[in-house]
Amino acid sequence: MIYLDSAATTMRKPAAVALAMQRAMERMASPGRGSHRPAMLAAETVFSCREAAARMFGVDQPDNVVFTSSATHALNIAIKSVVKPGDRVLISGYEHNAVTRPLAVIPNLRLHVAKTPLFRPELFLERVREELQNKIDAVICTHVSNVFGYVLPIADLAALCRDRRIPLIVDASQSAGCLPVSLGEWGAAFVAMPGHKGLYGPQGTGLLLCGDCAVRPLIEGGTGSASERQEMPEFLPDRLEAGTHNIPGIAGLLEGLRFVEQMGSTKILEHERRLALHAARGLERMAGLEVFFEQGLQNQTGVLSFNIESMDCETAAERLGQAGIAVRAGLHCAPLAHQSAGTLDRGTVRMSLSAFNTLYDVERLVNAVSRINP
Amino acid sequence: MLPLKRQERMEVDMVYYLIICRSLTFAQKSAAVLERAGITAHIMRSPKRISETGCSHAVKISERRLAESLQVLSRVGLSPERVYIMSADGSYKEVSL
Repeated sequence: MIYLDSAATTMRKPAAVALAMQRAMERMASPGRGSHRPAMLAAETVFSCREAAARMFGVDQPDNVVFTSSATHALNIAIKSVVKPGDRVLISGYEHNAVTRPLAVIPNLRLHVAKTPLFRPELFLERVREELQNKIDAVICTHVSNVFGYVLPIADLAALCRDRRIPLIVDASQSAGCLPVSLGEWGAAFVAMPGHKGLYGPQGTGLLLCGDCAVRPLIEGGTGSASERQEMPEFLPDRLEAGTHNIPGIAGLLEGLRFVEQMGSTKILEHERRLALHAARGLERMAGLEVFFEQGLQNQTGVLSFNIESMDCETAAERLGQAGIAVRAGLHCAPLAHQSAGTLDRGTVRMSLSAFNTLYDVERLVNAVSRINP
Repeated sequence: MLPLKRQERMEVDMVYYLIICRSLTFAQKSAAVLERAGITAHIMRSPKRISETGCSHAVKISERRLAESLQVLSRVGLSPERVYIMSADGSYKEVSL
């Protein structure tokens, strides 16, 4: 199987990830719940993971790195901490349902969408400047579109938000591990990310990086601290980490972070871009194919959408699956992104890469597409 | 200079100090800073009778390293909630900082 669905989850992980998870299941208990060796070993692993994430993502204190079960979980905490009923919120036209659905349940929300064409960051910033002339209470933006790999100009957007003291929430689901992500440099209120994509951790892990904003817990429960009080502790990370931690997951994530740190996110991005560009050029040469990419991929990561004009995208993905190529098709839980790009009625086939893919993998994809293309 | 009053020091038979922290992560941060400064620091759950809010963690350090530890922690903005001294008889006494 050639796996080209890493924007959903990176299936191939560094070998150390599974070993760490197994070790955690065999030797670690629950951190903060005892002074015995298995509890303390778990606590050490959790703290090492917080420190590694804080170092990688420009977070001053490891306390401000919160473990979640996914980026969706992290985004829910962030959105429900920042956005109040009746607020005006500005989002990009490339948001995932993990952003738009939590917003949809907030009463009387006034949503402003900066809908601009693909791979045109300058138009996006222009539109944002116009929108910020309204009284905007919060800005939420994805760093990279999960459908098209389009890199949004987050550093510039963050500067605009900082100047106006507007809280910014960044969805780094597709950028963590391959692009520079820095809570501190951006001055963001929150940055949310999964552990199981570009950070090469296991499924069921996510991170929420917390800035200076007040945080509202999504769930309440035991934290191993301030137990006599019935209110959740005021301090991080305990305030947002009720219940038993996913220790095998966190142990695996720590190894994933070490892998990214060792390999270097720039090198990973260069590798993925080189392969994506190779695939894009190979697909572009075929008649009857629409490929969504920009020459040179300056504003794009290793995520590439395409359509075979005479074939439904789900049929194409199914046929590729039968040929041993794993890709994803449809709306990718991001109807807004498809609306912005003009593909809402058709969806797209998406291939997405990881550090483990090779040139052979993308050549196999191109060959397989040429065989199913009528 | 030790923050403990001289008279108090004479009254108690010092074994070790416990720096009480609000959370496990805070205790881990404190212990990491102390270890980097060459001070042996051991993390433990705070004894129930001195844990004012039910559950907390503490960093245990040797009796000789308290002043230095507090200075190191203060330099990085990690102020402990409280500090206790454990006597040979097993009793705890809060140290005025």
